[in-house]
Amino acid sequence: MSGLRRVVHEVHSLEIGDATRYEAHHLVVGRGQVQELLADPALAAVRVHAACPGEEVRIIAPLDVVEPRTKAPGGGGVFPGWLAPVNRRRGGDTHVLRGAAVLAAGHLPRNQEGLIDMSGPAAQRSPFGVTHNVVIEFERAEAASWEEVELALRRGVLRLAVHLADAALAAPADAVEDLAPPHRPGEPTGGLPRIGVITNLQTQGAFKDVFVYGRSMATSLPTLFDPAEVEEGAVVSGQYGHPALRNPTYLHQNHPVIAELRARDGRELRFAGLVLCPEPVEQASKELVSTHAAWLCRAAGFDAAIVTKEGAGNADNDLMLKVDALEEDGLTAVALYAELSGPDGTGPPLVAGPRRGAVISTGNYDQRVKLPAMQRAFGGTWLRIADVAATAAVEIPTAAILGALSPLGAGRLTCRSEQEWEGAA
Amino acid sequence: MRVVHYINQFYAGLGGEQAAGTGPQVRAGTVGPGRLLAQLLGDTHPIVATLICGDDYAASRGSAVPELLAMARDAGAELLVAGPAFGSGRYGLACARLAAAAHAAGLPALAAMHPDNPGLPEAGAAPVVAAGATAREMAPTLRTVAAAVAKLATGVPLGPADGLITRPARIGRLVEQRAAARAVDLVLRRLAGERELTEIPLGGFDTVIPAAPVADPAQARVALVTEGALVPAGNPDRLESARATRWLRYRIEGLDALRPGEWESVDGGFATTAANADPNRLVPLDAARALEREGRIGRLHPEFLVTVGNGTSVATARRFGVEWAAELRKAGVQAAILTAT
Repeated sequence: MSGLRRVVHEVHSLEIGDATRYEAHHLVVGRGQVQELLADPALAAVRVHAACPGEEVRIIAPLDVVEPRTKAPGGGGVFPGWLAPVNRRRGGDTHVLRGAAVLAAGHLPRNQEGLIDMSGPAAQRSPFGVTHNVVIEFERAEAASWEEVELALRRGVLRLAVHLADAALAAPADAVEDLAPPHRPGEPTGGLPRIGVITNLQTQGAFKDVFVYGRSMATSLPTLFDPAEVEEGAVVSGQYGHPALRNPTYLHQNHPVIAELRARDGRELRFAGLVLCPEPVEQASKELVSTHAAWLCRAAGFDAAIVTKEGAGNADNDLMLKVDALEEDGLTAVALYAELSGPDGTGPPLVAGPRRGAVISTGNYDQRVKLPAMQRAFGGTWLRIADVAATAAVEIPTAAILGALSPLGAGRLTCRSEQEWEGAA
Repeated sequence: MRVVHYINQFYAGLGGEQAAGTGPQVRAGTVGPGRLLAQLLGDTHPIVATLICGDDYAASRGSAVPELLAMARDAGAELLVAGPAFGSGRYGLACARLAAAAHAAGLPALAAMHPDNPGLPEAGAAPVVAAGATAREMAPTLRTVAAAVAKLATGVPLGPADGLITRPARIGRLVEQRAAARAVDLVLRRLAGERELTEIPLGGFDTVIPAAPVADPAQARVALVTEGALVPAGNPDRLESARATRWLRYRIEGLDALRPGEWESVDGGFATTAANADPNRLVPLDAARALEREGRIGRLHPEFLVTVGNGTSVATARRFGVEWAAELRKAGVQAAILTAT
């Protein structure tokens, strides 16, 4: 496995203008270039907007979200399997526009409607309430199928993300971050535990699938995977279920558990690596994948693993089966889980439970949140889940806020009883 | 404190299933188990009135709880006791809902039921104390209730030592550390020996004991029910695609099969293409009609019940289960085929 150098360019402000450029932390997105990069027979029209932190802007029906990244010339490209060949020459710096994100928003069948607010309580809860967002609205061409529309958007958004990062190639870096490859089994540990991460990817067919090197993992066995490749965009989401429980591409590029393990590598632990798994829909396949994942972790010399999922229900079963399989094999396991405690928090939090192990709460799916009215909305004019105008003041479950219950651990929500909160205060 | 006691038709001596449709009524003083409860409470907390309602009426009519609450107020209630409902689902539901409504309206309330009673999650913020599984444990249960009433009357909140079984509400808030960082901390602490640490407590799953097999399917009335969100095309009643708050019923009398184009699944949690192409694969009406024609099942119930399971909380799903069971039992259904997605 390889290491990686991230060259970071921070984005502090964003506007839509005539030509794309990046200067002094200010990103201008060229209208004409957006039209060129998203041109596709499946799309009748494309519009681009800026949505920035602090603004009274709501983005409804958000689709995938991507962080602008690119490689310096000769570096082999990013998004392998989509925009770059997988067997490319690897190496060279990866340039990152940190603080910016590109996303499409609008109706797509099976896109479970969610929202992002750029201010107020939803902005505090979503990882995308604090990024400068380049928002693509779209209209379907009459002759196009929704599958064609989705493919056009995915390719277009990835191209736009690379194009924007290209604008910063010559700019001075705000930070240069060297990411070491994971600790190898057998190397001295210095007495530190080897901790890795298992990330389950949703694999439920059209509009409910995640792509690894451009392919579905639906029928794959778990595999050890190079975390540097995840940074390069090898995992791309085409999954539009449960907005709060979604793992958009952006969060794979910035995998929170990997980031946390790396940050403590050599001090408190050794980052032992990443295992990617499908979330199959049949019980026998779930058991097979869980058993194999545990074997893989043991074979790779993990002492412990943090297990993440995407979606709910089916996905909960996969999560808990893995925790059980790991603990039975003598590894220490912790799962990340959004509890389903009901609107008042008194319901049973778990749908499926491990026999042992431990579970981190990423918040309560059902807890209601009151959102203030916004001045503008992108992605649509009507919020269907609440049957109100897109800009209206509204009370919604946390479940509808994109990434608010992030199963990859990006969020800061958790649940405790009143007594426990008082004890903690 | 003036106590008003709520019991169902059975404990009021009105009868079992045949009296389950009885509407709310009030009687002065004690009825049934209230007599022993009154003895245990003594003169400090007299039971001034007893509210009675049939289980079906209480579980299936939205108006039942407000009607009962108004009766309690009229009787001068200062504290409401509901049950004990033991393991009875509909009775437990009614006790829990009434206690929740009274508590929310500022009237101190207490319910009693078995910890596995599916009504328990409906109690909201109202306290519920443990009852035995059946009425055989009436006396010890009423002793728990009486002690809890005495404590509650002094304004002291109940705890597990008082038999409290209500789950304390879990409240979501933002904290300093993101979940990924907390997960790494938790792994490190567990590796260091704190094996039992967890943010969400494990366990607490109930087990369902399957009913006895239907003795003679050829005589049985069979219902089709689904959590796959199959509704008439266009979703006229606006069933949710996730996080259901209600369930619906649709007539299938006179239909041999569900015709493609006339039905659709609005479930947001699975790929609906195949189900929409042939709705019978989600609600197997064609196959059930064939069995009916062949005499292998008695009769098909004339409507199917439907909700969406996608993202629906366990507490809500349990309530739907109780309501469906009551509904089907009332209609004389012996077996139900629940198709899930």
